[in-house]
Amino acid sequence: MLSTRDLVAGYDDRTVLDGLDLDLPTDAFTVIVGPNACGKSTLLRTMARLLTPRRGTVLLDGSAIRDLPTREVARRLGVLPQSPLVPEGVTVADLVGRGRQPYQRWWRQWSPEDGAAVDRAMALADVAGLADRPVDSLSGGQRQRVWIAMTLAQDTDALLLDEPTTFLDLAHQVEVLDLLHRLRVERGRTVVAVLHDLNQAARYADHLVAMRAGTVVAAGPPREILTADLVRDVFGLACVVVPCPVTGAPLVVPAHTGGTTARPVTPSAQPADDGNIPLAGSYPSKGL
Amino acid sequence: MTTVDRRPDSSTTAPDADASPGTASARLPGRSLLRIGPVSLQVRRRAVLVAAALIVLLLLAVVLSLSLGTPYVAPADVLRALSGAGTPYDLVVFDLRLPRIVLAAVAGAAFGVAGTLIQSVARNPLASPDVIGITQGAGLAATVALTSGAAAVLVAPTALVGGLLAAVLLFALGARHGLAAQRFVLAGVAVAFAFRALTEVVMLTADPIDGLRAQIWLIGTLAGKGWTEAAWIAGTLLVLLPVLAWAGWALNSTALDDDTARGVGLRPVARRIGLAGTGVLVAAMVTAQVGAVDFVALVAPQVARRLVRAERPPLVCAALLGALLLVLADLAGRRLFAPTQLPAGVLTAAIGGPYLIFLLLRGRRRSS
Repeated sequence: MLSTRDLVAGYDDRTVLDGLDLDLPTDAFTVIVGPNACGKSTLLRTMARLLTPRRGTVLLDGSAIRDLPTREVARRLGVLPQSPLVPEGVTVADLVGRGRQPYQRWWRQWSPEDGAAVDRAMALADVAGLADRPVDSLSGGQRQRVWIAMTLAQDTDALLLDEPTTFLDLAHQVEVLDLLHRLRVERGRTVVAVLHDLNQAARYADHLVAMRAGTVVAAGPPREILTADLVRDVFGLACVVVPCPVTGAPLVVPAHTGGTTARPVTPSAQPADDGNIPLAGSYPSKGL
Repeated sequence: MTTVDRRPDSSTTAPDADASPGTASARLPGRSLLRIGPVSLQVRRRAVLVAAALIVLLLLAVVLSLSLGTPYVAPADVLRALSGAGTPYDLVVFDLRLPRIVLAAVAGAAFGVAGTLIQSVARNPLASPDVIGITQGAGLAATVALTSGAAAVLVAPTALVGGLLAAVLLFALGARHGLAAQRFVLAGVAVAFAFRALTEVVMLTADPIDGLRAQIWLIGTLAGKGWTEAAWIAGTLLVLLPVLAWAGWALNSTALDDDTARGVGLRPVARRIGLAGTGVLVAAMVTAQVGAVDFVALVAPQVARRLVRAERPPLVCAALLGALLLVLADLAGRRLFAPTQLPAGVLTAAIGGPYLIFLLLRGRRRSS
């Protein structure tokens, strides 16, 4: 449903994406990963029409997104920017209600459908109990669920999220990711998120997009594409990829210890012949 | 392994999403829905109460202001005169006092509206027409007119042109960054300083008597003004009424940052241009007619916001409060040191300032 064709985008005099072609699968949880400044946020912002590309097109269900009225896009595509400004004194229900903006006009400020959508969104994101609380009085994890609820109130088929887990502790990260997983599995939404944590990406993504320097290095199911070679290629980090003991998804373990506290397990404990197992002391000094 | 069971049980972290389907909130807290035919408006219940109270107070203030003065007219006689019964006081009530009081109410409402719009775009409770240079633009033009011997009827139109010129400059300077809050305020401060400096040059080179007249104009006074000025301001507000109806709604989302606003299908830059444009238009018109009484524009939105307990200034209540404030300020200016009259601009600051401080202190105590 979302694709880019020959996309060129950037800020001021810096070109971040230079001719990017990408197709994101429908009804899947896509996670975009890559090192800092690789262009993953730029890609997400351009796809969400928050950033106007210099050249090329973003296609939403086959039609160029810049030719669609922004209100119509907002009924089909929800977006959660990286760290949205929390408006002072606004209550949770009020903020979630702003998600109904694309369905409202100044002469039609509220409809029963708006109310139902807000209720559904708050229940889904588990913030219904906070409805009357000011958003700026909530914890980081609660806030993030409120923002997600706001985008859910838009009733869109697709949801784009820019680093939705940043600044959250591990438990809250998992909470947010579980919510996104439920949206995809139970509600059939298409979810696209930029994440920093490779292991979370591997655990939750149906489709993984690995980026480096404005280009897509690999894209596909994490189990097929997430290898030690890819991590070295994309992040410049030597690592071991093992199956996760809980989910079986690929688990990326940095091989370099920094030489202070921990030591790598003896190489003989690892599968020996996939060429990805580096020997202690022979790693590039990047990474940890 | 299937897609589903490679993930941990999600129900351990959150209760089932559909546990409370349709619990009928269906409405925003503190709001009621006002339906008039196909029109449905969200109304804050507290704003309705505050507006009703302000209307009552405004009417009381108007009657009081009609009654006080030399000669004193008993409130009962004021009411009788207003009802068209034909009393000996008709001349005093209708010809001497009412025009000026109506002007005070209309101008106060306009300042309240302008202040609300400008503060919401500037995202700053201290922004007002004189912070962003509109007052200074009007002031420079008025000073030039007053010191160059132009006819008295030309002063207000000239001031309007000056105010609009400042607005154009403000938009030209602020536009490059999409009229973002900080840029908007900075551009305004620059415009304000430039025009103020020019005004002082004109004043210093002018005849001292003309300079004094210009000084009084700059402070803002309603003395000697009435129906004509009120009609210009009311006409402007009336023409802008559809825009103001939109603005009352659009103000709701000015607190969202641009990315979030775009995400929900808004066009934040166009919205800011619309709101700020309306605000400076009203500000230029009202300042041109009554001078720089713009402390009302600073204080009315913030006091109204606290009375309504909303997260942003409410447009209608700010207008009503502005009207009330200016009617009272003008009354005080007329009566406090009678027969000497103080310009209303001095009194708005004297009344509004302490009240704003009181609200700020009370707000801090509650939030801490």
